[in-house]
Amino acid sequence: MLKRFLSERPLRLPHFRPYVPRPSDPSIFWFNSERDDIVSDVVKRICASHESDRARLEIALNDAAFHEIRRLEKQRDDEARDRLGYWRAMIRRIGKMDDSEQRRVLHTIVTNMARDVAGNFDPRVYRFARRAVPRLIGGVMEPRRLTQDLMAPAPQALSRVLKAQGDVEHLRDLRTRGTLVFVPTHSSNLDSIVLAQALDDCGLPPVVYGAGKNLFTNPIISFFMHNLGAYRVDRRIRVSLYKEVLKLYSQVMIERGYHSLFFPGGTRSRSGMIEQRLKLGLLGSAVEAFTTNEVRRVDRPVWFVPTTINYALVLEAETLINDWLMEEGQARYIIEDDEFSRIDRWITFFRKVVGMRGACIVRFGEPIDPFGNRVDGTGCSMTPTGRVIDAGGYVEHRGTPVADYVRDAAYTRELGEVLAQRYETETVLMSTQVVAHVLFRDLVQATPGMDLFARLRLRGEIRLDREAVCQKLGEARDRLREIEEKGRVLTSDVVKEDSPAELLERALGFWNGYHDSTAASLEGDQVVLRDPSLLLYYQNRLVPFAQDIAQPDQLEAACEIESLGVLR
Amino acid sequence: MSLRIGVVGAGGFGQAIALASARNGHSVVLWSRRARELPPPIQTSTDIGDLESCELIFVAVPARHAIEVAEHLCEVVDGRHLITHVSRGLVGADLKTITQVMREKTVCRRLGALAGPLVAAALAEGRPSGAILGTGFPELTSMVRDALGGAGLRIYETQDVIGVELASATVGFLTVVLAYAREVGAEPGTLAVLATRGMVEVSRIGQTLGADESTFLGLAGLGDLIAAVAGDQRPELQLGRALAQGIDLTSAIGEAGAYVEGIEVAGHLMEHARRLGLETPISSTFVAVSEGRMTSDDAIQELMERRVGKE
Repeated sequence: MLKRFLSERPLRLPHFRPYVPRPSDPSIFWFNSERDDIVSDVVKRICASHESDRARLEIALNDAAFHEIRRLEKQRDDEARDRLGYWRAMIRRIGKMDDSEQRRVLHTIVTNMARDVAGNFDPRVYRFARRAVPRLIGGVMEPRRLTQDLMAPAPQALSRVLKAQGDVEHLRDLRTRGTLVFVPTHSSNLDSIVLAQALDDCGLPPVVYGAGKNLFTNPIISFFMHNLGAYRVDRRIRVSLYKEVLKLYSQVMIERGYHSLFFPGGTRSRSGMIEQRLKLGLLGSAVEAFTTNEVRRVDRPVWFVPTTINYALVLEAETLINDWLMEEGQARYIIEDDEFSRIDRWITFFRKVVGMRGACIVRFGEPIDPFGNRVDGTGCSMTPTGRVIDAGGYVEHRGTPVADYVRDAAYTRELGEVLAQRYETETVLMSTQVVAHVLFRDLVQATPGMDLFARLRLRGEIRLDREAVCQKLGEARDRLREIEEKGRVLTSDVVKEDSPAELLERALGFWNGYHDSTAASLEGDQVVLRDPSLLLYYQNRLVPFAQDIAQPDQLEAACEIESLGVLR
Repeated sequence: MSLRIGVVGAGGFGQAIALASARNGHSVVLWSRRARELPPPIQTSTDIGDLESCELIFVAVPARHAIEVAEHLCEVVDGRHLITHVSRGLVGADLKTITQVMREKTVCRRLGALAGPLVAAALAEGRPSGAILGTGFPELTSMVRDALGGAGLRIYETQDVIGVELASATVGFLTVVLAYAREVGAEPGTLAVLATRGMVEVSRIGQTLGADESTFLGLAGLGDLIAAVAGDQRPELQLGRALAQGIDLTSAIGEAGAYVEGIEVAGHLMEHARRLGLETPISSTFVAVSEGRMTSDDAIQELMERRVGKE
């Protein structure tokens, strides 16, 4: 009951005096004053697109009622008790409604959906979160330093663990000239927190993003999410109108200059591989936002920032890889019972990573326009040779900017491909991933002809000579340096600077004591492969580069590993 | 609607496109590195800047010149331009298609690939024929149909751009295989098996690169192959026949009288298939034959002895 109360009626702090944003405040500070207008804009556009076509309108209402009845019948909870009757009565009446009643019902449904999606932004909560979150996490990591961190102007623990890379100055130049859309890779539910922190550390503006409604069931997280501008996405709702509301809400926010964040992978990478198949819905909303502004002659361009979030240790690694291996990734789109929901795992996780230099790297890639072109410091799109072009030309037909949904969908597909390529080149390979790859490749070499699942059952059965492993690590690292010089991938400072023996020790140290079973351990002069599934998860980041870093005698094993990429 | 059309390349296909477009009432400028004479109203040019004012540009150069041409175009095109190419090849060992090269080297995004059983002579003379245009942009389809279509040419469309380009590139290789087999006395049944299983083989590789299987079975794949073996005088037929007569690969390519990319494409496809652990019996066997590592009898025996599975 409390859960439902909190998720349906978000907690907001009382306002004694309305906050008047200053010109220097980020765009999100204007959100509350614009929220009703944004909701009404979304409702108006969706209703207008349905009202001229009675058949389409009737299909939309039937679809909404059908899917909601199906969902609520399955849910059998308080919401079902309240709402099931409404939808059942409605589906019986749709055929008998006249035009105006159908339009009225559509308006009501869409308004309710848009209000449910729209968030809230409270500058007081924002300022509190900026100060408290890093200190709280720092306190969990190092309880002894909590008092020092509370007093310090900037907490130390988090900054030792989290590092932001990329041309941040360029992004700062662009933030006031248009809308930045951050599109990161997605490995963990911690991603949004980590990214928010990295943006803040770099002096970049806060962003709005869609958070799964399941995250709102935790009262503390729900409070912060509600009050920091996040919009709610209820993945259980399959209604087409709801998807339209979500997309259009995101589009209107981008059109109006709210810097945004969404994960094009759609969900956390179950396999640990770099995402290649991206979901294009929200990307499309950003492309259409660009077009709409061009057609309306509003000079507010949209730029995408391909971002990779790279962890040496992933909070939910075990659940994710098991989910992938069970081929239930799609069925369990929303996982509610993973490590993210267990506070003891959070504490163990943070304590584990604090002692490890560079445990998380957020890499901001070079910003691109919606058509995949680089942009200069003033936001002008450029050709590969540096000639400045007018990005508005892409949406022109015979000299006039025009809205064209099909054309924009094609641009979005191409943008998806560009982002997938950029994810590879902007990925920073971490110590655990490189070590896992070398160990897993040895496992494949030691078990010729065996299928993947049989290999994963070999827990503790494969032992490798430590010296030989270190030598192969050194060779792999040398090859990685070569492909890094060609701009194909990046490696962390730790991978660059540590000796192979230190690298091995560091990776084993990360795994040991956090995951239920460690991925590998040392026994005398031997490395014992304890959990091949975890090794698979961490090494999967290197799948696209397996053959490039293999020695001739390792090529066959590398080929097998690379063919895993077809499964992703 | 009169369009301003640019054509890059003054080979047979480039000239045919220019003639067909001019016949349909459009203003045409044909660019080539060397000065050319073409009948008015076609304007010829050696200045790439003359293409800047064109709305639609056709690129009609062999794949091996694609990068160079794209680098030239990069200086004049922007997001307003629409580009379609008619090349039947791929670029380099990583199997880059021409649209991928254009996307990498220029800022043009509204791209397409025109392929299928379309031959230059039929296009130039307006004889009935058909083609397929792979593009994600309906406005490009509409413009290409305006430029070239009409009573003489039916242009179908698909969004599977990479499928059209890969199918078109691999038809050249399969044509060489079939010409070779016919020359060494293969019967119609054998030719049919080679054609259909060969197409399945290349489509399997194509799917790993993002292509749809159905595209290989349509105009861009089987349709084009039928036109080739029916005898539309492609150099690949001559190359296949020369190889069957025992002429070595280099001389046979010389005898074909034109640059044939099929064998090179097959080699790259096989390498890609090897990396992914895919079987390519027909391609591998034929490349071995063309390089003199296997006789035709051994090749047939090796293919016939393979385990037979479901279609």
